[in-house]
Amino acid sequence: MRTWRDIARYHLVVPWLPAALPWAALALSFVVNLVIFSLVPTSYHEVLTSHGLVRVANPSNNYTGGLATIYVFLLVIGINSIGRSLPFGLALGVSRRSFYTGTALFGVVLAFIDGTLLTALQAIERATGGWGVRMHFFEVPYILDGPWYLTWLTSFVALALLFVWGMWFGIVYRRWNLFGSVAFIAVQVTVLLVAALIVSWADAWPGVGHFFAGLTAAGLTGVLAALAALLLAGGQATIRRATV
Amino acid sequence: MTPAISVTGLTRQYHGHLALDQVSLEVEAGSITGLLGRNGAGKTTLLRILAGQEFPSDGRVLIHGAPPAENEAVLRRLVFVREDQVYPDFKVRHALRVASWLYPHWSPELADGLLADFELPPGRAIKKLSRGMRSALGIVIGMAARADVTLFDEPYAGLDAVARQIFYDRLLAEYAEHPRTILLSTHLIDEAAGLLERVIVIDHGRVVLTAGADDLRGVATAVSGSVLAVDEFTAGRVVWDRRRVASQASVVVVGALDEADRAKARSLRLELAPLTLQQLVVHAAAQPADTLERTSA
Repeated sequence: MRTWRDIARYHLVVPWLPAALPWAALALSFVVNLVIFSLVPTSYHEVLTSHGLVRVANPSNNYTGGLATIYVFLLVIGINSIGRSLPFGLALGVSRRSFYTGTALFGVVLAFIDGTLLTALQAIERATGGWGVRMHFFEVPYILDGPWYLTWLTSFVALALLFVWGMWFGIVYRRWNLFGSVAFIAVQVTVLLVAALIVSWADAWPGVGHFFAGLTAAGLTGVLAALAALLLAGGQATIRRATV
Repeated sequence: MTPAISVTGLTRQYHGHLALDQVSLEVEAGSITGLLGRNGAGKTTLLRILAGQEFPSDGRVLIHGAPPAENEAVLRRLVFVREDQVYPDFKVRHALRVASWLYPHWSPELADGLLADFELPPGRAIKKLSRGMRSALGIVIGMAARADVTLFDEPYAGLDAVARQIFYDRLLAEYAEHPRTILLSTHLIDEAAGLLERVIVIDHGRVVLTAGADDLRGVATAVSGSVLAVDEFTAGRVVWDRRRVASQASVVVVGALDEADRAKARSLRLELAPLTLQQLVVHAAAQPADTLERTSA
């Protein structure tokens, strides 16, 4: 237990990379979008009411992809948490098992904090009418547009998923270098391709469509959590024989 | 008593290359042992397996009676400082802070003292350190950890002579105060000779010699003089190395020499010079293993 905590702290000895850098990047993306949407005029349509013609603003379509920045960063932090950290960890008498558990713990804590901050920012966004320019930066249709607790849960799980995926990439690179990493990506693509082929042969696309259409944000979060658990187990199995 | 390190039939194979070949050895607790051998002899591989960083292809390794691989009870009592240690993007003080969390007997005073001795700036990024400075950082971690089993792999690569002397002095002082098992691989054999209680020589993945450092002093002697005198003197003895220039010959004779031998050498006008540890290792590495068993017995 103590070792897990120490390893989690180990990743935070230089805190600015995992804690601050993703937010700095996200802030940059946010400001760029804010400036752009403040320049775009709001479109209106006219509605005939008992008071005559009234100008009504069109529903905002000011969605951005900027939120993806922080998810990509969690993937990168996950990769980075293995690379040069594992060799020094093992030199200090930590077992691979403890290192992995402690690193995953760090990722979960990071996802928890970042997910909470994202939820708070989404609440502010809603309260301020989209930062005064009707911008949906922290809101994503279907995935992140429900009540705050679902936003929090989905953000947390998705961030943790990206981190765990990154860890597995890091371990694969540690064991089999660039060639192994390319093969690892190829295997993942192949798995998706085979799944798509099977669905096609079984003429099951409508069923898949119904599954996702019927899936609530909570259900989707469940699918992501299951995927994260799968990736976590994969990384655990891969690190067992990693050498430094 | 259980030895601190016990290795039996250890073999490590990499794609047809035999890095370690049936290595068996023991290191008793509370000793400083030198692990000597040429580049590529298998020293680093052996140490990595002892530290649980690498896995054996065959054979068994025990640290204080238990296998080290993924065994935190053992690993926590062990520190491994290697020449090519990879560090995260840390400053010196970050690396020391993490090490201090993980070692129950970590000594901050010792770490600070060594930092000052080696003039290692705690605020410097590790990747900006020179090779010698990086080695010094490894030494600080290895010593301040006060781990029961301390493994040093070429700990002073790139260190200047003054810093190396500091290392020898501080290591001996530390060892006297806090005895532990130290296994040290090195190329600078004669320099470290005064430090070592035992030596293990490996070559091409095999142990060719294990002996107490004191037992090795005088175990081999360089004999030089005229060819005829040398031949007469060496008759019936184990001879390692024979060189001849014109009528002069120079050989290495294995086995201790007694007073009668020395008197005979004098009468034959032969020059006798005891082999230093380094010369001994150079010769030992060149011999087939079976010749050496007689000398190490």
